[in-house]
Amino acid sequence: MATGKILAGFLAPHPPHLVYGENPPQNEPRSRGGWEPLRWAYERARQSIERLKPDVLLVHSPHWVTQVGHHFLGVPHLSGKSVDPIFPNLFRYNFDLTVDVELAEACCEEARAAGLVGKMMRNPKFRVDYGTITTLHMIRPQWDIPVVGLSANNSPYYLNMEDGLGEMATLGAATRRAIERSGRRAVLLASNTLCHWHFHEEPAIPEDMSREHPQSYDGYLWDMRIIELLRQGRTREVFELLPDFIREAFAEVKSGAFTWMFSAMGYPEMPGELHGYGTVIGTGNAVMEWDLTRVA
Amino acid sequence: MSLVAAFLVPGSPLPLLRPEVPVWAGLVAAHAQAAAALAEARPDVLILYSTQWLAVLDELWQTRPRVQGVHVDENWYEFGDLPFDLRVDTELAQACIEATPALGVRSKGVDYDGFPIDTGTIVASSFLDPAHRYPVVIAANNLYHDWQRTEALGALAAAQAARLGRRYAVIGIGGLSGTLFRHEIEPASDHIASTADDALNQQLLARLAAGDAPALRAFVADYAASARADMGMKHLAFVLGALGEAYRGATTLGYGPAYGSGAAVVRFTL
Repeated sequence: MATGKILAGFLAPHPPHLVYGENPPQNEPRSRGGWEPLRWAYERARQSIERLKPDVLLVHSPHWVTQVGHHFLGVPHLSGKSVDPIFPNLFRYNFDLTVDVELAEACCEEARAAGLVGKMMRNPKFRVDYGTITTLHMIRPQWDIPVVGLSANNSPYYLNMEDGLGEMATLGAATRRAIERSGRRAVLLASNTLCHWHFHEEPAIPEDMSREHPQSYDGYLWDMRIIELLRQGRTREVFELLPDFIREAFAEVKSGAFTWMFSAMGYPEMPGELHGYGTVIGTGNAVMEWDLTRVA
Repeated sequence: MSLVAAFLVPGSPLPLLRPEVPVWAGLVAAHAQAAAALAEARPDVLILYSTQWLAVLDELWQTRPRVQGVHVDENWYEFGDLPFDLRVDTELAQACIEATPALGVRSKGVDYDGFPIDTGTIVASSFLDPAHRYPVVIAANNLYHDWQRTEALGALAAAQAARLGRRYAVIGIGGLSGTLFRHEIEPASDHIASTADDALNQQLLARLAAGDAPALRAFVADYAASARADMGMKHLAFVLGALGEAYRGATTLGYGPAYGSGAAVVRFTL
């Protein structure tokens, strides 16, 4: 068996508004569009997935919050309706996904070997969180590639940020080892928003884009600073700034997906490709790609 | 009509899913006592506030007339499923929604098939009303609401229930100290994570029993930080708001650990 590898990583945020704006058949609510620049960004990311042809998509979601360890979807087939508890008016999605259980188990084993608490989720009635589903839908709406779903252990919030993100880095390295020994060609998806300051009331017409803009100018400036560094491949500087970015922009990357992904990729000092940026209810969202096949 | 009962209950699914575990048996028995007291009070409606139903936009109230399904907890899925079947007092819920702008709070009703009812609400209703006898009103925990606003929401819900002539019970659903074990433990070995947390919890329960609302509020402000209390004890704020001048004290029916965190079943004296 050939050694597996990570083909690419994507910053792939999960506002359910993007699914709502697209009107796929799986989602019950209907819209008149909205958030087009971000949805077009995902269209470009979809083309990359089509070109890369991965065996598996791994997604780390901040909306599957676990307290004891890092959990992995461990049921071969999961289906049901996922209703967003915050935006039930926008996201009531009938999901149907296939899990690469073998790789998930390998990730869990490697995480345990690295000293983390790892657990396999084996309950077939489990309702997959909307973060996982939104990211997966936006990146590959065909749902024809098996997935590995990882929970967000609450350690960056519960312990302290540095120790918590340290756990995520360990998890990323463990994920990489599991992929390598699995022989899989994998794509990683970090399901994170950047600046997470948001409005506290929703417009009467959610897709009314005349109401959409950054909630915070300072947060917007932070997003642009981080994106510009990522576009230049200055990864080390990004991670040096990350604690300040998280504190000052309330950045959702605190939940660990971003660190997990970059650790798995070996913190490449390569320019990330920005597919697009936009706000959703005031939060900052970037769809970005790091294509590791270009440096292989 | 009137407030006929008030309780604090933990919301952890562990005692419900694993009632045979000796260390959780005390909480199971305490819930049974609370259920008996509730039946004796003959409420028309249960007003529930759970720390585990999180909202960030507006205040949310469940308005679907009947919500049924099977929930799987995102942490404790290996211990089993949580079936639920709740009837909602939609008239009262709607009255609460219409009343909150007076507090400067915008509210929304939630009426969607498949909406994820939170674990705490399901656990509390399963323990306290296993025969599904009482309709409920369920209010979300908006993360941006502080203690005072939450207390005001509890008072508002109680006032609307009284206005509509309901005999109502108020139930705050949430834990005490919030330190959970970060590693897997054998359930039988569960205990409060630290003696400091245990002492703080015992002090809180003693303050609840004393019936001095200003002293209790002052204590909770420090307790919440020191004990990493569940959501700053906003479930207690909601109940105290609903009780208002009726708060005279409380009895702890059961106290114990839930994977290191503190859990108690408390019945308020009316």
